[in-house]
Amino acid sequence: MELKLKPFQWVKYAVVHPIEGFEDMRWKKAGSLEISFLIIFMLFLAETAHERLYGFQFYSSYDKIFSIVPYIVKSFVFFGAWVVGNWSVCTLLDGEGTMKNICIYSSYALVPYIMQLFLCTALSHILIRDEYIFLLMIQITGTLWTALLLFSAIRSVHQYSPAKTIAAILLTVFAMFIMLFLMILLLSLIQQVCIFIFTIYTEISVRG
Amino acid sequence: MTELKNFLVKIIITIITVSVLFRISVITSYSAPYDVYNYDKWGEAVPSQAGYSPERSVSGYDLGAGAMDSPADIFYAYDDRFYIADTGNNRIIAVDSGFEKAVRIYDSFRMPDGTETYLKKPSGIYVSSETELMYIADTENSRVLISDTDGNFISAITKPDDVLYDEKRTFMPQRVIADKAGNIYIVLSNITTGAAMFDSSGKFSGFYGANRVQPTAEIIRNYFSSLFMSDDKRSRRVRNIPAGITSMDIDGDFIFTCTASASQKTDIVKKLNSAGINIFADMDIVIGDYAPVYDISQNKLLAPSITDIDIDEDGNINCLDSASGRIFQYDEDCNLLFIFGTNSDQTGGFRQSSSLESHSGRIYVTDSQKDTVTIFRETEFGEIVHKASALHNGGFYEEALEPWIEVLNRDGNYRRAYLGVAAAKLRAGEYRESMKYAKIADSSRIYNKAFEGWRLEFMKKNSGKLALLFLILAISLIIWKRIRKAGKSHGA
Repeated sequence: MELKLKPFQWVKYAVVHPIEGFEDMRWKKAGSLEISFLIIFMLFLAETAHERLYGFQFYSSYDKIFSIVPYIVKSFVFFGAWVVGNWSVCTLLDGEGTMKNICIYSSYALVPYIMQLFLCTALSHILIRDEYIFLLMIQITGTLWTALLLFSAIRSVHQYSPAKTIAAILLTVFAMFIMLFLMILLLSLIQQVCIFIFTIYTEISVRG
Repeated sequence: MTELKNFLVKIIITIITVSVLFRISVITSYSAPYDVYNYDKWGEAVPSQAGYSPERSVSGYDLGAGAMDSPADIFYAYDDRFYIADTGNNRIIAVDSGFEKAVRIYDSFRMPDGTETYLKKPSGIYVSSETELMYIADTENSRVLISDTDGNFISAITKPDDVLYDEKRTFMPQRVIADKAGNIYIVLSNITTGAAMFDSSGKFSGFYGANRVQPTAEIIRNYFSSLFMSDDKRSRRVRNIPAGITSMDIDGDFIFTCTASASQKTDIVKKLNSAGINIFADMDIVIGDYAPVYDISQNKLLAPSITDIDIDEDGNINCLDSASGRIFQYDEDCNLLFIFGTNSDQTGGFRQSSSLESHSGRIYVTDSQKDTVTIFRETEFGEIVHKASALHNGGFYEEALEPWIEVLNRDGNYRRAYLGVAAAKLRAGEYRESMKYAKIADSSRIYNKAFEGWRLEFMKKNSGKLALLFLILAISLIIWKRIRKAGKSHGA
């Protein structure tokens, strides 16, 4: 089969061909980093919309304060940790994927999940509580589809066997935890240092 | 330079004077020694309008009965009199309905054989309108004394000789009430299995309305660790026993109980039917403050301690938190209406509040250290809220709309009013308006119903347009596909 597709068509192709799509992409050396970044940005928008624009009949939020940080963490930070974690794990496990390819393939796999978030947010303004089952169905379908795609993406990008892919994914999640732990540790240490410097500054400025 | 200095001093003095004057004017128009607050939809305290304001505080001298000593209970009876259990003076004082003077003082009761019997630290009083008898929890005499309102001894209930009643336990009645059928319910100190129930002939018929044990993580952990313990060790450890009932009140066929416990969270307030089943059991209700109050003068957190409960004529539930000196008023469905009172020496504050009673828009609270009765009077705002909430709870949502709007005009923070307006608009079929108010009140349940109605209305009104839109979409989709196919085949 001849595959001459534009960059955006590749996204569609990968999403609707969960088993072979990423293999074909790898064979054709397709996939664009720009689109990948765009998808992650859409993930960020979708997470925020899902939290803030959801229909009121299903959900109510604490409107007194709003912080964008949790949504940044949910999208950019988690994805970044996934890519770095997967790259470091799979480099040790004879994976063939480069960091760039891991980033591209993983982000393409997230498309159903993002679409599910947007779709649920939009439908939540049309449906009532009795029809919540439809939202739930969409949510489950989107999430499972993304899980399947992610599995397929990791398998193709590193050319692993299915069992090894599962092991790699589990190890990646473990690596993500370690990274996040270290980041929090670093953050609190920096905070301590800042407080220390500020204390010295206060001391000197008051005495001087 | 000195001119400038003088000028500055003048300005500062003016500012101070003005602010002091302003402060005084604020205090005089306000007159309560506490800030009035209510809870918003997120359970955070916000300033609110007062539903009750302190009117006066009455001592024993004002009533012409001499000083009271640690009054523990107050009751408004069918004969239009208040009865106060003047614990420290071993007597019961009957006061007229205007709370101006003592009508009668009961310090002894005539026995049938002509001798007198005396009270010893009576801490509870109840007068039944059906039997027209006084029931006095005569604590240190270990009995409940029953007499008529002329002071003639009728009978007494003492420790029951029954297998259900543990012989080693003392019999110290704290509170007593009687229902229509003449059954007598007695709250006993150190009894945690509920109120002792006696039938009208004075025969013990078991316990009524015990509290449940709160299933906390600690209790579950203790249960599992106790499986691996020796019997000897098990017998020596703390047992999981719920706190006993502290006080109760009767309203029609229902008995309300409250429990003063620093650790217990469940069953603080119960509404029991005649079978002893708690109607509030599955409702997730919070009684008292959401977060414990920090007391500056004692430097500690005041754990809520609901020591007395009272149901007024409208069915509203008044709870007295003696730890913070606050009275929490709820409507019959346990929605918070008002919070008032505090711990202080001014009128409207308490040192040790012990019980409360309500009568025709006023709430009477006894203080066992100040030895006074403080009278709170319903404000205009309180009157409107009570009217609205009574209509609302009676199902007259649309009739309640006007008072709810009036409430909102006076206090835009009053969440309950938004709920009321939303419900009324929903009933009236004004779905958009109802959605708006339900959103402000944070009630997604009402919003859901209003939205459902609005959606149906919208579909009915625009069914033609919607069908047309659908048709156009379908046709354009088919055309677009044709064009694409044609373009592809043309390209190939």
